Amino acid sequence: MHIETNNHGDVLVVKLFESRLDSYVATDFRDAMDGFISQGSERIVLDLSKVEFVDSSGLGAIVTTQKRLGRARDLVICGPCETVMRLFKLARLDKIFQIVNTEDQALTVLEV
Amino acid sequence: MSQTRSVSSPAEAEAFRDSILRHVRYSLGREWSQLTGRELFEAVSFAVRDRIVDLMVETEARIKENAGKRVFYLSMEFLMGRSLGNNLHNLGLWDVCRDALDEMGVDIEEIAETEVDAALGNGGLGRLAACFLDSLASLGLPGYGYGINYEYGLFRQELDNGWQKEKPDSWRALGTPWQFERREEAVVVPLFGELSQMEGHDGIENSMWLGWDVIVGVPHDMPVVGYGGKSVNTLRLYSARATDEFDMSIFNEGDYVEAVKQKMESETISKVLYPPDSDDKGRELRLIQEYFFTSCAVQSIVRNYLAEHGDLANFADKIAIQLNDTHPALAVAELMRVLMDEHSVEWDEAWDITRNTLAYTNHTLLPEALERWSRELVERVLPRHLQIIEQIDAQFLAVVEQRFPGDTERKQRMAIVNHEGEQSEVRMAHLAIVGSHSVNGVAELHSELVKSDLVPDFHELWPERFNNKTNGVTQRRWLHQCNPGLRDLINEAIGPEWVTDLDRLRELEPFAEDAAFRERFLDVKLANKQRLARTIAHDVRVDVDPASLFDVQAKRIHEYKRQLLLALYAVHSYLRIVEDGVPPASPRTIIFAGKAAPGYWAAKQQIKLINSIGRVINHDPRCAGLLKVVFIPDYRVSLAEQIMPAADLSEQISTAGMEASGTGNMKFALNGALTIGTLDGANIEIREEVGDENIFIFGLLAEDIARQRADGSYNPRAIYENNAELSRVLDALSGARFSPGDPRLFHWLKETLLDRGDYFFNLADFADYIATQDRVSHEFQDTENWSRKAILNVARMGKFSSDRTISEYARDIWGLLPSRTVVGV
Repeated sequence: MHIETNNHGDVLVVKLFESRLDSYVATDFRDAMDGFISQGSERIVLDLSKVEFVDSSGLGAIVTTQKRLGRARDLVICGPCETVMRLFKLARLDKIFQIVNTEDQALTVLEV
Repeated sequence: MSQTRSVSSPAEAEAFRDSILRHVRYSLGREWSQLTGRELFEAVSFAVRDRIVDLMVETEARIKENAGKRVFYLSMEFLMGRSLGNNLHNLGLWDVCRDALDEMGVDIEEIAETEVDAALGNGGLGRLAACFLDSLASLGLPGYGYGINYEYGLFRQELDNGWQKEKPDSWRALGTPWQFERREEAVVVPLFGELSQMEGHDGIENSMWLGWDVIVGVPHDMPVVGYGGKSVNTLRLYSARATDEFDMSIFNEGDYVEAVKQKMESETISKVLYPPDSDDKGRELRLIQEYFFTSCAVQSIVRNYLAEHGDLANFADKIAIQLNDTHPALAVAELMRVLMDEHSVEWDEAWDITRNTLAYTNHTLLPEALERWSRELVERVLPRHLQIIEQIDAQFLAVVEQRFPGDTERKQRMAIVNHEGEQSEVRMAHLAIVGSHSVNGVAELHSELVKSDLVPDFHELWPERFNNKTNGVTQRRWLHQCNPGLRDLINEAIGPEWVTDLDRLRELEPFAEDAAFRERFLDVKLANKQRLARTIAHDVRVDVDPASLFDVQAKRIHEYKRQLLLALYAVHSYLRIVEDGVPPASPRTIIFAGKAAPGYWAAKQQIKLINSIGRVINHDPRCAGLLKVVFIPDYRVSLAEQIMPAADLSEQISTAGMEASGTGNMKFALNGALTIGTLDGANIEIREEVGDENIFIFGLLAEDIARQRADGSYNPRAIYENNAELSRVLDALSGARFSPGDPRLFHWLKETLLDRGDYFFNLADFADYIATQDRVSHEFQDTENWSRKAILNVARMGKFSSDRTISEYARDIWGLLPSRTVVGV
């Protein structure tokens, strides 16, 4: 699984370079996010601009990450394509997470 | 009799022939000399389809330009039957095609006969949907059917020693030229999973729907050609597919077997019509089927609406959705979900849109046919939908409380989710009523009984929502196409305007007094009977006399429809001949046709009973020339098209108060059969139209039966003991006379009728029925008078056109007036 990260102040930006966040990569993704949180990241931007499809295990992994963080407002998702956004809405994740178009907007939401 | 035969122009026929030959070569890759009958059918169909496609594109462009309201008819069933002949007739190309094929040495009738029926339905409800589509297109209304593209239609019925055997009907095994697959318009349907509560970024607790599976619904569009060829609408049928994405992830992990299994399970959804619902797995599949096509329809309608209009503000002004029975009732929750979850519409606005868009047609008063799903099942398959349904229920019960404060019992009776009894259940009819702005029955009596007996609490709360739309049939298929002899005779007498305005048949009335016309009318009937007699000889191996009275009961086999009563009459007639030496006033051929649901024991027993009676009577030389009883197997639309024109007497003998409307009754009368019937369903309105003297009415009224049920006064055993003719019939059937190898075979009959109270009141109506049948036999002898009555039946069937029914739906429910009442003749 290909993930790249960079820090903006206390915010960790995680960019997933996979076309699919599905059952095949969901466990690795969750473990990686777990690792970031264990290492002290408390506010995260998840950049999904390279992801073309998320299945329900992928959605579950995002929810698990949020639960580990503790507060929904500390995880902001950015850049989902139309298909991924539709799946978020189907699962009603848009009612839980802030979802914005760009990384800059996400950082603004987190007041960085 | 001379039959008129119109001729096409040679240029048109030549162009059509060229088109067929082009398809033989370039669509099928064949030489003419190699061609099979099936391939020729396909080539002809492709040539017809070319014309249809142009018209379909024109129709859609016109509708878009008008930006008017569209109506969507959601139905679990569409009994379309064959399409080639219907499309040719509606396009006005039958003669052109016939002449083109004539020149090639091919008989058009033979080609049309090779088409397999699209039997995507079970009975009247599905055929009604098909008639409605024909009327919508013929009236030039933008109306679309939405349903399931079943791989197997209703089973093919075979008889094995008189027992029904069900064989798979793989109607698409060789493909169909009438469908366009629209993969690019596929929709994703979520199901299963669970709801999980979580505090959102705004601090508000919300629920998520996680862990779902998804099925992909791939639409297949079937063109529906309106008469005159000016409008071509579509019937959109969905096939279930596993998602490629879903499969791929499993393939990536190397679990090929699991991937194939999941793919097969997903695709089971559109495999078969009405899976048996006797076990949990079957019930789950049935619920998923209903949700699958409803979700596909709702998503597709919303998506297309947004593409055309941009936002959802005027959705209910532009879209009407009719729910054909409760099968698509989940549309209430699905439209709410799509509006709120996928398009961020707030609850109150979504509710207004939903209720103003949806309308519900009730089709049955039978309690067992009113769908209820266990709450546990709905929660497991559709957790988000159950959440929405329970919220709707809470809101609805608050309205009931406001109107009837403190009336807890009423709230229990009316609740959508019923928590009484062992397990909670979701009442789909209640969901449909609460979520719709209109609730209609399908005949005047039925609509009254819906209000007074079925859901009186709802009627008291919202009387303005309830209305009647008496069913109808399309005269294009059920007279113009299926009865060319009568069609031509009528055209000669009054012109062809009746094809788009059935009330014009009234102009036939004076011809009932015209002896020459009556003679020609009888000639047409005889030719139709001869044709059916050939089918019976071929399919049943019994020779019947076309001059005898063809007494027909053709419909689904169900106890309330009382095929048993006619069977009892057959035995009574037989015993009169062989024991009393009294022949019937008119020789009679009693003809049954119909399928029994595979799991319906009593109905399947009736098929065996009828065949056993037929075997004895047809082999008894004392009955030769007097009485025959036949059961024609595999009743379907194309067989009905032969049966209806050939009937003299139409049996519409349901227990009063139990048949919602019936449409077979209309088709038979339209083709000149006289009705023997109870005052039930649309029979009442048929009597009003044709007049008391032109119909044979017998039996108890619905209110008599309701009263006797309520006070427990019905005593079938007393009737049996006091009616010697009846007791002779039942005693004969209980012995070995009709079941020589197994004398106990029909013991269920007395048990049902005497020991278990004869729920369907067969014995109560027996004496009146026999007396009325005797009257029929005597009247049939008077050919002149009989034909006069038959002509008047045809002339007075104008009300029962589905064009009238659809115009009423369009005006009263959909707010969609016909742009014109007649489209090109």
